[in-house]
Amino acid sequence: MAESVRRVLGRPGSVDLRPYVKLLKPIEDREAELGGLSDTELTAKAAELGDAELPYERDDLVELCAVGREAARRALGERPFDVQLVGVMALLDGRIAQMATGEGKTLAGALAAAGFALRGRRVHVISVNDYLARRDAEWMRPLYDLLGVTVGWIGQEADAKERRAAYAAEVTYASVSELGFDVLRDRLATDPADLVVPDPGVALIDEADSVLVDEARVPLVLAGAAEAVESDVAMAELVRGLRPGRHYEVDDEGRNVHLTDTGIEAVEEALGGVDLYSADDTSILPRVNLALHAHALFQRDVHYVVRDGEVKLINESRGRIALLQRWPDGLQAAVEAKEGVAASDSGEVLDSITVQALLLRYPVRCGMTGTAMAVAEQLREFYELEVAVIEPNKPCVRVDEPDRLYATQEEKEDALVAEVAEVHATGRPILIGTQDVAESERIARRLAAEGLTCSVLNAKNDAEEAPVIAEAGAYGAITVSTQMAGRGTDIRLGGSDTSDRDRVVETGGLYVMGYGRYPSSRLDDQLRGRAGRQGDPGSSRFFVSVEDELVAANAPETRGYDVTAEGEITDPSWRDVVNHAQRVAEGRLMELHRNTWRYNKLIDLQRGVVLEHRSEVLHADQGDRQLAVDCPERHAELVEEVGAEEVARAARLITLYHLDQGWVDHLAFLADLREGIHLRFLGRRNPLDEFNAEAAPAFKGFLDDARARAAETFNEAPVVDGRIDVAQAGVKRPSITWTYMVQEHPFSTEFENAAGRIRSALGRG
Amino acid sequence: MLRAFVRAFRTPDLRNKLLFTIFILTIFRLGSVIPAPGIDNAAIKQCLQGVQAGDSAGLYSLINLFSGGALLQLAVFALGIMPYITASIILNLLTVVIPRLETLKKEGQAGQAKITQYTRYLTVALAVLQSTSIIAMARTGQLFQNACVPSSYMPQQDPLTLITMVFVMTGGTCIIMWFGELITERGVGNGMSLLIFTQIVAMFPSSMMRIWEEQGPWVFAIIVVAGLILMAGVVFIEQAQRRIPVQYAKRMVGRRMYGGSSTYIPLKVNQAGVIPVIFASSLLYLPQLVIGLLGNDTNNSVVNFLSTYFNPNGTHPVYMVTFFLLIVGFAFFYVAITFNPAEVADNMKKYGGFIPGIRPGRPTAEYLDYVLTRLTTPGALYLGVIALLPMLALGASGAAGNFPFGGTSILIMVGVGLDTVKQIESHLQQRNYEGFLR
Repeated sequence: MAESVRRVLGRPGSVDLRPYVKLLKPIEDREAELGGLSDTELTAKAAELGDAELPYERDDLVELCAVGREAARRALGERPFDVQLVGVMALLDGRIAQMATGEGKTLAGALAAAGFALRGRRVHVISVNDYLARRDAEWMRPLYDLLGVTVGWIGQEADAKERRAAYAAEVTYASVSELGFDVLRDRLATDPADLVVPDPGVALIDEADSVLVDEARVPLVLAGAAEAVESDVAMAELVRGLRPGRHYEVDDEGRNVHLTDTGIEAVEEALGGVDLYSADDTSILPRVNLALHAHALFQRDVHYVVRDGEVKLINESRGRIALLQRWPDGLQAAVEAKEGVAASDSGEVLDSITVQALLLRYPVRCGMTGTAMAVAEQLREFYELEVAVIEPNKPCVRVDEPDRLYATQEEKEDALVAEVAEVHATGRPILIGTQDVAESERIARRLAAEGLTCSVLNAKNDAEEAPVIAEAGAYGAITVSTQMAGRGTDIRLGGSDTSDRDRVVETGGLYVMGYGRYPSSRLDDQLRGRAGRQGDPGSSRFFVSVEDELVAANAPETRGYDVTAEGEITDPSWRDVVNHAQRVAEGRLMELHRNTWRYNKLIDLQRGVVLEHRSEVLHADQGDRQLAVDCPERHAELVEEVGAEEVARAARLITLYHLDQGWVDHLAFLADLREGIHLRFLGRRNPLDEFNAEAAPAFKGFLDDARARAAETFNEAPVVDGRIDVAQAGVKRPSITWTYMVQEHPFSTEFENAAGRIRSALGRG
Repeated sequence: MLRAFVRAFRTPDLRNKLLFTIFILTIFRLGSVIPAPGIDNAAIKQCLQGVQAGDSAGLYSLINLFSGGALLQLAVFALGIMPYITASIILNLLTVVIPRLETLKKEGQAGQAKITQYTRYLTVALAVLQSTSIIAMARTGQLFQNACVPSSYMPQQDPLTLITMVFVMTGGTCIIMWFGELITERGVGNGMSLLIFTQIVAMFPSSMMRIWEEQGPWVFAIIVVAGLILMAGVVFIEQAQRRIPVQYAKRMVGRRMYGGSSTYIPLKVNQAGVIPVIFASSLLYLPQLVIGLLGNDTNNSVVNFLSTYFNPNGTHPVYMVTFFLLIVGFAFFYVAITFNPAEVADNMKKYGGFIPGIRPGRPTAEYLDYVLTRLTTPGALYLGVIALLPMLALGASGAAGNFPFGGTSILIMVGVGLDTVKQIESHLQQRNYEGFLR
């Protein structure tokens, strides 16, 4: 009854769990009987469950959970708690299960995945990074074996053959970007045998908020090498001499940089008195801008590292090195020129996919995370997913202390170090979460200088992740980490073997310190969640300064506070300012997400048309048939000369090439259109409508044009040694593909907000 | 064009949106003709006819226009959506003054939702206030300029009945507000604008009928033709724009050259829309308010002066010239505050955009300012002429107070109509169809 009232009044948007809770008793009743079975009999029991269709009936659900619990007990030595089984049932119903850290999300996910797999669905368990994908797959393998379900995982380095093998398993673990790029690469395949990703079945998303919200803000972009560029060392040299503030200015968010009037003059003079903004020659300005962008906005060890004479990007939201990832539009070359390393090939965008489009391919979607309610609205809007909030097995006793707020970065750092020294003296383990690689190293150096030895976990040494995390809960441990430690990592008190547990518990458990709040409260909560797993003691505290990027860029006021002698700000209304700044940042990110989604809707539709046609060409002989109609003489002649099969092969390659090339050109047009579309707002037009209004006609005749060009190439292709040499007719494929780090510009929204406020103030309906 | 409409109705979810919108608008019209409890419908119709023959409701005629005549019929939806519009104007102005509202605004959607909630509360408060004053005026007969006896159309005047009426009208406004949001959310177009549009269009048939009856078929035909020509002209100018090319030099363009054609700032000839006209007419009601306050005393020189020169139904040259000048002034004022060339130039500079041949920063701002001024001058004159045209025509034909193609109505109708059509088109385009405006 009380629950009914609570449901009506409070926490709207979460799923009613009572039907699941009712089944817990029958599940427990089955335990004794199942415990007496041999392993083979248990596997047979699991296989019996596969005789029916999804969804699970009540009795089958009970049986599945009971068998799963017994299997987990045997294979992993862990008997799933009731709350984990509730999670499994919620997942099987296609929900997002919110489960706190250390509650065993991975196990619950594995049982649900097995549940889907037993009923003949192919399951993709999608995680935020490769490390988690691999770890979870290996960890759960014994369980899957016992349930008679095959499992595989995809790593960053896996080749096509390994990937195909992993995808052939009933349950496949992969990171969202690997999966997305596999899908993108499949779209470039010229032979059905080259395809890697099977038809989508079930998507089970681990760390769902991170994958569905944070990662979804920008689309995944696949690029191919197009041509080599010369590195613009001269320009890099030139901008190195410019001074910030005097010659150029960086905006508050550090996203854009522009020359000041003095800067323009200085550059024009240095280049020998050219006019950068002339209407006739617009080739110099992009070079200047690129070099300046690389110089002013990208910092070594924050945005990239230089390793083995190459520039490697760091993925900001995960704090890890991203292999085969680059900046688009010549920025990569500009950074390479800045660092004086050899220039690599420049590329062009081949295709892109949004996380929404990727996941909406799956007829069934579900997932789990520690922090879902904060984004429940977005999950519903973009993915049609509901959140089920699952109570922790043991109540969380972690103490979340209020933030400590300081005026300047230095005072904040001093206070943090002092606090570390004080707490460390008691032997209590400490985890310090920082914003980026450079910050983590600075803090580590500072601590070392104070005689406090610490382990560092960041993108530069991610190979040591597992051992570092395993010991982070040991007596007297100090660990400095980037956001890497924020998710999926389980810090056990008393070190890896928990031998020292009692002593650590006595000191108060893990102490999590945040060196600055993150751009979203969910990230804060994830860091906090490292402490207090399974009813462990622990506490958390964030150290914030008014100079922090988050506060400085988003707070309305950054002056007028009173400080104590230590530089601390104790006024509670200033703590609200920090919270407000975070909410502003969250609102902005959400708008970014929504814009990505909106602007990609039409593109997805057009892509669908192309892909449908492409698949007919790839799997059927659509290309051959078309060319036989379009150039009957040439076709007949070639069939005579090299045989029908060879002609069909060439026709397929030529048709696919022109389809893909047409799409690349169309995408480039759309990207260009998108860049300036926000200006339309000044003419009282809705930029999105304007975008669609120009994008729709631009696509008209796409397939016919590609077909016409294919016919042209087909007529020209020469015959060499009994084969049609398509390469000589201009058909080539990108030799290497990589992914682009893109940021969508939030500025159109800013613009709309500013103008929209004035407009609605004057009340136009 | 026709095919696009057929296609719109063939696309299932777009069809549902259109039908939903029409459904809501129908209920809305229904509520605008159902009298509030305690009102004698037949009597009030008779009373209205008497009033309309002479001066119409003066002070309240703009509100009456926006409520589709529901106000003077004392209908359930008598207040229309005016309270909501007023409330949103007030709240938007307050965001500038009150820091808390400003911080909310910056928090994006969540904050915006809270502000919308405040707007709703304020709407209810305003609705209570307005319905009370309207009912009070109706009770004394002032609403109809004492043209008929209040007890004829309000037979019962006990407090309970009056309170019920206030409740019903306030409730009506809340429902209208909800309708507006429903249309915006699940139908096509902007709900609030469409509701105003409906009410203005709703006044048409009766006005036209009256012209037919009073002026005969010839004048009727001339007015219809003139109205259509006027509307075509307004559509033409509302669509007119000057495109200033912009280039973004942030990235390498690579092998291909795009841009130039697709990236531009569109500057509308009538950048200000209908707002200057609404502002000017609201301002010109002030003299009426003064007369009302001072009492209709013909010996008072102020009252005499005002009622001679500033009678809204009169066609006195002083009134017309003032009206015209106010519109032109407001048009410039509005453009000046909504389009800040310096801000636009700064934004472009920040994100690497520039107008080819013009340096970023101040030169760009100056150039934009120059173009804008040259564009706004004809735009403002056009607005003034459109607003005055009916009055001039009335002066010539003597069809007092009946001309349905008032400047405000036409501008609103065309504006909302174009917006709605564009939105339907945009829905079609999202499905990869070409629209019907090109």
